[in-house]
This record gives sequence, structure tokens and C-alpha cells, in this order.
Amino acid sequence: MSAWSFYISTLVVYFAVDVLSGVSINLQYGYAGVVNLAYIVFQSAGAYIAAVTTLGPDSGAGAFQSYVFGAHLPYPVSLVLAALAGAALAGLVGLFSLRRMRRDYQGAVLLIVSLVALQVVTADVPLFNGSNGLTGVPKPLGSLNLSLQGYQWAYAGWSMLIAAAVYVVVRRLSRSHWGNALRAMRDQEDAASVIGLNTTVMRMQVFVIGGAIAGLSGGLLVQYIGAWSPGAWGYAETFVIFTAIFVGGLGNYRGVVLGIFLVPTLFLELPQFLPQIGYPGLIDSLEWISIGLMWTLSLYFRPQGFLPERKNVALGVPLVTVEETPALVATAGRR
Amino acid sequence: MRAARLKAAATVGAVALTLTACGSSSGSGGTASSKSTLTVAGVIAITGASDFEGQNQAGGILPAIYAINKAGGVMGHKLAYKGVDTRADPADALPAVQQMLATTSNLVMVAGPGSNSAPTIVPVLNNAKIPMTAVAGESAFDRTKDPYFWRLFPPDAANGTAMALWAKQKGYTRVAAVFGTDSGSQGDLPGVVASLKAMHIPLVANISLTPDQPTYLSSVHRLMAAHPQVIMTESDATTAGTFFGELKQLGGLVPIIGTEATFTAPWITAVKGALGASTFQKDFTSLITAPSSKTAAVTAYEQAVTADKAQVPKPWQSYLNNPFSITYWDGMMCVALAMDAAHSTNPQVFNKYIMQVANPGPGKVKVYTYAQGVKALKQGKKIQYYGATGLIDFNRFHNSFGNEEAVGSSGGPQPVELGIITAKQIEAVPVVGVP
Amino acid sequence: MLDTLLSAVAFGVVLASIIAIAAMGFTIQFGLTNVLNLTYGGVMTVGGYAAYLAVSHGASAWWGLPLGAAAGSITTLALGHGLLRRFAARGTKVFEMMMVTLGIGLVVDYTLQALTHNNISQFTVLQSAPIHLGAVIVTPTQVIVTAIGLGIFLGLEALLRLTRIGKALRAMAADPALARACGIRTRRVVIFTWLLSGALCGLAGVVYIINSQSIGYTSGELFLPLVIAAAILGGAGSPSGAVLASLLMGIVTQVVSAYGNASYSTAAGFGLLVVVLLTRPGAVLTKGANEELALS
Repeated sequence: MSAWSFYISTLVVYFAVDVLSGVSINLQYGYAGVVNLAYIVFQSAGAYIAAVTTLGPDSGAGAFQSYVFGAHLPYPVSLVLAALAGAALAGLVGLFSLRRMRRDYQGAVLLIVSLVALQVVTADVPLFNGSNGLTGVPKPLGSLNLSLQGYQWAYAGWSMLIAAAVYVVVRRLSRSHWGNALRAMRDQEDAASVIGLNTTVMRMQVFVIGGAIAGLSGGLLVQYIGAWSPGAWGYAETFVIFTAIFVGGLGNYRGVVLGIFLVPTLFLELPQFLPQIGYPGLIDSLEWISIGLMWTLSLYFRPQGFLPERKNVALGVPLVTVEETPALVATAGRR
Repeated sequence: MRAARLKAAATVGAVALTLTACGSSSGSGGTASSKSTLTVAGVIAITGASDFEGQNQAGGILPAIYAINKAGGVMGHKLAYKGVDTRADPADALPAVQQMLATTSNLVMVAGPGSNSAPTIVPVLNNAKIPMTAVAGESAFDRTKDPYFWRLFPPDAANGTAMALWAKQKGYTRVAAVFGTDSGSQGDLPGVVASLKAMHIPLVANISLTPDQPTYLSSVHRLMAAHPQVIMTESDATTAGTFFGELKQLGGLVPIIGTEATFTAPWITAVKGALGASTFQKDFTSLITAPSSKTAAVTAYEQAVTADKAQVPKPWQSYLNNPFSITYWDGMMCVALAMDAAHSTNPQVFNKYIMQVANPGPGKVKVYTYAQGVKALKQGKKIQYYGATGLIDFNRFHNSFGNEEAVGSSGGPQPVELGIITAKQIEAVPVVGVP
Repeated sequence: MLDTLLSAVAFGVVLASIIAIAAMGFTIQFGLTNVLNLTYGGVMTVGGYAAYLAVSHGASAWWGLPLGAAAGSITTLALGHGLLRRFAARGTKVFEMMMVTLGIGLVVDYTLQALTHNNISQFTVLQSAPIHLGAVIVTPTQVIVTAIGLGIFLGLEALLRLTRIGKALRAMAADPALARACGIRTRRVVIFTWLLSGALCGLAGVVYIINSQSIGYTSGELFLPLVIAAAILGGAGSPSGAVLASLLMGIVTQVVSAYGNASYSTAAGFGLLVVVLLTRPGAVLTKGANEELALS
């Protein structure tokens, strides 16, 4: 039935977007130990930029939204700009949040960034049309002349293709010497600095790469939905992806994909099929309570997740301490 | 969106209330039990910051379904409501609506969508060929060509114009606008600003309130420094309570003209609590879609809300005068009568009858309730459903706007009628540049 | 113009009092246990609801204050001593502990949402005429709120400097191992700290709702970032630092909303934190060297 086809294809697009988010957060947190509790802000930056660069100028006839940077750019350009916007914003935020400081401080600072960004965009209407957000974002791939259903699956396929490509690239990056250096920094920052790794610069690198992926995911999503508003990026959105990673397996990309399938796709979609219990909104609260419990319990019982981080594949030795850290030695040798 | 979706999921998917049990006593549709149940889906914000939208809807649509089922259902089919939560976020609404379309059998109508998710959801529903009675204020829908879109509700801008006209009638020359930065409130602000400009009434302060702050003292101070004679306002209930409470305590209170959305229970409760009942009654006016004079349609509505009070959200009395709820009631009645007129429960067949059963025309019988309509149709007559909101007259863009009325609070649930602003007066104001 | 500035400063002091009550509790507990405790916002709401329930059942608003404090104390002790200690025993490190509190915070918040049916309740007490202080007009509520804040600050300083348990607390915050070696019963001190910070947290919740006149399940959560920012700015473990930082943030916030775009007022408050992080990271991150939890 075609309605099912619409529904499933939508879930596929959302899944692809979530996989991009998972990959980005896993690179930042799982490998480099940077806890980006503002992830959703960078996704949102991409979404807004992809939207305004295809909506056209906001001064035209019949225009009813106000925003900056209005333009009619051809398709893949807007998506590339979305990724660049995510990266640029990450660079800006990274300037003050990636100094060497306690990681819990860093997490708190980024959480605050997430809240403030939301408040500013909501309140400053000329920026991205405030709380009403942007609507009417044109659909890309229009020139393909597909049926409605064909379009759905074409977009779903395109999203999965992008997600798969990013997945492969980031996994390779993580297994390079650079990836080893990240893990060395995560586990033994002092030692990593001693052997000459500039940890602040490395953190900035992962933060910007992660920001680009976030922006890309936002662009992909907004051009599918056609609208974006502050309602879509509350700070708690980030927690869902973190929970998925905790459940699936921190530092393990396959675990991340598994977690994304289990938490946002399966766990959050299934309750829609349940009959109502209690007052309207109860299932909603219960879902959030479950997310919190999943998050807390996985940190208690299985901090490594279902699929734990692989040992250093290149060398077959775990990264444990400085003395036993070939990754550090190997990295140092290269420099 | 995820988190949000998560909430959406919750959705109160909620509210899948089956009301068949309530209506089985009536005799006119004898074969009720053997026919399938038809689903009316409410695509609206049920949780989150805009959850009042869902309450407004439930307060009108549930009594409507109750009344129709009590009258024997539509050609023997009972109706049932299913809530689909948008959380006022298009990113949440899209999968939720598609899931609803995929899994709902016998879907005949959507109540909604509300503002904000409408631009994303209206095309989806239109493609799925499901009639919708939208309560979305975006002016983009003033001239929509989507055949399955129906709106018995003025665009947000019209409400703003009515507020400005009322201020002019009362002779105010210094107006301050105090609006929340939440999306519901921001929807109405451009209409107010543009209308004041068109009527050359000076706007001496335009203050925006970020919701849920511990204090708005500096904003209060700014407002007082501008010395307005009247405040035009909309914000969420909590913010309004804090702001007006502080305004009163600092001695800066002047009369308040609220948008239609302020004439709902949470807002009135919060601000009445903050100002005290007597001050509130003295100073508060709201411009709402004019309720109809007390016709049989209004009586039927009140009776149904009262009879179905266990099902609607608390407090049930608040829906007796809730302009949004009454709109949903009328929308449901139009769609149900259209099915009877078309002798079909297939939306592709009955959709074009919606205008036929509602608009006035030569030789039509005026009916005020569903049962009257069914009876007249059975006798082979053409009907005009005259709603609880008054005259319904869809234009070729499937929009029907009525007059606006200035109302005050009486202390009880009944509003005090203060005056009428007609649709003609509103159209005559040369407002430019609003959504 | 001067009137506006004076008013803004006065309002800033009122706002700062609310932030400071919460920030003092937060920073004392953070300084001692080293847990950046993100359940704090949820516990504030718990304290607020305790007062709301009492007042809505006919108790006087004054009773709301001790009741809110008690509710905050008990909840914080249960979470801190009951739950977090177990995580620490399993080897959870200082950073992961923050993530744990974030997860627990979600559970607390949404349990409150489930219990309150996502409703916002009105809480109106103390309606009376405004007080004119020269050009500045303030309400009696604001005066009371500020007085409570000042009283708590003085009381806390006295407690930390003059009492035995207070001295033990300071000693342990400075060096847990040394304190233990000197025969301080650290477990007792930790329990005391949870109770104390919980009480301040609950009180902050009550004062918050007295001022904002309403309560919902997110009330504390929305306020938490200001509290954390003040605690970090003021330096972990320092109540007087937290008070100074709160004053700075409160005044900046209100001045910006009086003169500039009110929408940016809160952002401006946080901007302070960003500026300090950029220019003098060492000044606020002095705790950086110590990465051990002290939970028992």
C-alpha cells in the first residue's frame, strides 16, 4: 500500500540522518573524548543554511518570512553549504569551548551553548524567522520527474548513499594514525601532549569534521521535510543520539548504527502503534523516562555498549596506559 | 526533531478514543453495529509547548463525534477520534502523519493541521485525498488551490486588524505590543503591527518576551517608560502570568486587548490569578471570532459538550465558549453532512459536497444540527448548515471567515459581549506585508 | 536614563539573589564531591512543587520555604549518596559521572512531567503595593527574595567558617586524602554536603516560583544553565565567588534587556562565561588538576 511506502521511506531518510549524527558524535566522543552536548545546534545550522540558500531572497512578492542570506542556489551547492555552515559554526564554538579543561566543564559549557543558541534564534526573528521557522523549502531532485512515491524512495536512497559514504570515510579516518592519536589523547591527554601532540588542535579538527557532518545531516533533512523551526532542535534532541551510542557501543561504528536502529528508529517509533494509556502525553513522558533509564543503566552495567570498542586493529593491542600504548609510540614516531 | 518526535510519538497517539459506546442508544441508524467505524484524525500539537492546541481541538471535536454518533452515526457508521501529535514541529509531524495514513483504515477526515506544521502537512494530506478542517492562521492559505483544504477560521492577520479597529473605536492613540517569542504568539504579531500602521495608530513599544524567564522586570520597566494607553498582547499562559503580575505590582497596568488565543482557559486563569479577578474583568478585552447569536446550533453544541464532559480535557466548561473548539465542531458537522449528501464515505466522492451543505443558496433549508440535516437530506432537500460559529460561507479558496467580536471576562465561563467588528470592516483596512 | 539604569541594576540584584541561592548550593557540593551535578535543576523543581503542594493545601507561604528545603535535601541525598556513590564504586570517573547525572536528570524531569500531567500551575503569594526607593520601584516580593538570598549567604559563610562540620567540609574540599588522614570522618561530611546543597537547591526552587508565580516541570531545568554558569564563573567550591558571579550575571542580563534587545539578555549573561573562558581560562578552571571523585 502506498501509504506504508511513504511512511517507511520517511523512516529511511530519518534513519540515514540519524546515522550521520551517530557517526559524528562517535568520532567526537568515542574517539576524541569531546562531549558535544550541543550537537543539534550544528545540525540546525546546516538545516537553516540549506533552507535559506534555496528559498530565494526574502523580499520578493508574497514573501512572508524574514531571514538572512536568501538565495536560489542549485541543488548540491546548498547541501555543500550546509556542511560548511556546520563546520564554520563548530570552529567558532570550538574557539572557546575546546581549551584544555575538565571534560565535565566542557560538556556543561556546550550544553549551555545549545540552550543559548536556541534562545537567540527563537527571539531574533530577522535571523531565521524566529519561532515560526522557515517553511516552503523547495524539494531538490525535482528535475528527475519522478512520481510522488518514486521521489520518496529516490530521496531515501540518496540519503542512505550519503550516510554510507560518510560512514566509510569516517571509519577509515578513525583507523588511521590520526585516529590512534585521538584515542591516545582521549585516554592519556598528558602523555599525548608530552610526545608532541597538540591536543587543542586535534580536538578542533574532530569538532570541525563532526560539525560538517552535522550540517550535512541537517541540510539533508530540511530539504526532505521542507520546513525547520526551533521546535526541531531542543537541546534534548542531542541526548537521543547519545543514548543510541551508549546502547550500541561507544567507539564502535557498527555499534553506533545498531544503536541508531534500536533507539530513535525502533524504540521511538513503535509506541505510535500502541493504543493510548492514561492522559494524553503520558506515553510521551514514559518514553523520556525510558531514555533516561537506558542512558543511566547502560553507563552502569555496560559502559562499553552492546558492541564494545574494538581493540587497536592495526596493532592488535589495546590502548591502556602510556607504557602499553603503541598508538602513542607509533604516532610519535611519525612526527 | 527526534526528541521531539519522541514526544510526538507519544502522541498520544493517543487519544484513540472510541466513542461508539456513548452513542448506541439512538434509534435512527439501526444498522450501526454492523457497519465499520470511520476515523477522524486530529493532526495537532497534543504535547509540548503548544499542547493547548490539542485541548482546544479535543474540546470541540469530541463532543461533535459524540453528537453525531448519538444521532445514529453517518449512514450507520460510527465515528472515532484518533490524535496524531505534531508537537507544532513539522519534523515531528511528517512521520507521525505518514504513519497515521499508513495504519488508519476508514480515515474520512483530518481535524487540523494547526499552525506551524500546516505548510508541511497540508500537501501530504491533499495528496492522500483526505479532507482537512485546518485551524492554521498562515495567510498563505488564503488563496490555496488544494481541493481537500477547508478553513472555517480567519487568518491571523484578520485578528490583528480587528484588534487595531477596536483600539481605534475606543479612541486609544498610544499602543504597546507585548508578544511572546513562541510561535503561536509570533504568528499574530505581524498582523497587529501592520494594521496599526495602516490605521496610523502609533506603536509606542514593541516588546518581545522570551518564555519561562524568572522575571520580566526590565521589560515591564521599558513598557511603563513608553506610557502606552493600551497593551495588545499574546504569549503563553505562564509568561503572561509573570509579566502582567509584575506589571501590576509595579503599578503600570493599563487596559489589555488580547488576541483570540488569549481567550482560552489557561491564559485567562494565569492572568486573572496574577491581576486579581476584579482588575482582570475591568481591564481585559479579547477579539475573537464572533460567536453566533444563540441559535439551535449553539444549544446543540453546549448540550454535547456538557453530555460529553467526561471525555474532554479539563475544565470542560471552558470549551463552551472556546472559539477554536467551536470551529472544530462546525468543521466536523460540515464533513459529516457532506457524507450524507453524497451518500458516500469515500473522501474523493464527498469532498465537493462540503461546500454544498454549508453555503447559503436559493431553495436551501437552513439546518442547525446534524440530525436536522440528515432528516432534510432524506426528504430530498438541499441544505445549508448554519453553524455554532454562525454563517458558514466558503469562498472558492475554501475559506470562510466571519465577523470578530470584542469580549470581556465575566468572572464565569460566559464572555461579556462588548462589540462587533465586521468582516467588511476588516477587509477595508489596507494591510500590507503580513504572512 | 539614569532611572532606567538604576532600575535595571535593582532588578539584576533580585534576579541574582535567586541565581545565587542555587549557585551556592551547587558550588559547595561540586567543590567537595567533584560531581558536576546536572540533576540539580530537577531537584529545584521538586522543591518548588513541595512548596506549591503545601500552599495549595492551605499552608502559609512561609511554610513553603522549609518544606521545599527538606524535599530538596532528601531527594539530593537519595540521588547522591544512594545512586551516584554506587556508580563511583563501579569505577565511574569524574567526567562519566556528569553524563550519569544528565541521564538521572532526564528521569527526574519526566517523572515530574508524568506526575503533573504536563500542566503549569499558578502560584501567587504576597500580593501587595509596590515600594518606591527613589526612582526605583520594587515589589515586596522582590525585597523578600533579596533578603532571603542575603540571609542564606551570611548563614552559609558563618556555617563554613565557625562550625566544626563547616571547617571539616572546607578541609575535605581542599584535600580529601589529607582530611581523611587528619581523622575527619569524610563519609559524614559528604552526607552533610548532599543535605546542605539539596536544602539550598530546594529553597532556590521555592524562591524561584514565588518570584515567577508559576511552576511547571521544566522550571528548574530552564534555570540550571544560569546556575552552572555562575558556579563555574565563581570558581568551584566558593560560595562568595558564586554570589559575585550571580550578581554580575543578574545585572548584565537586566541591563541588556533594559537598553538592548531583551531577547539577547540571557545570552548576554552567558556571554560573560564565554569571555572569561576565552581570556582567562585559568581563572575559572582552577579545579582542573583534581579529577578524583569524593563520594564517601
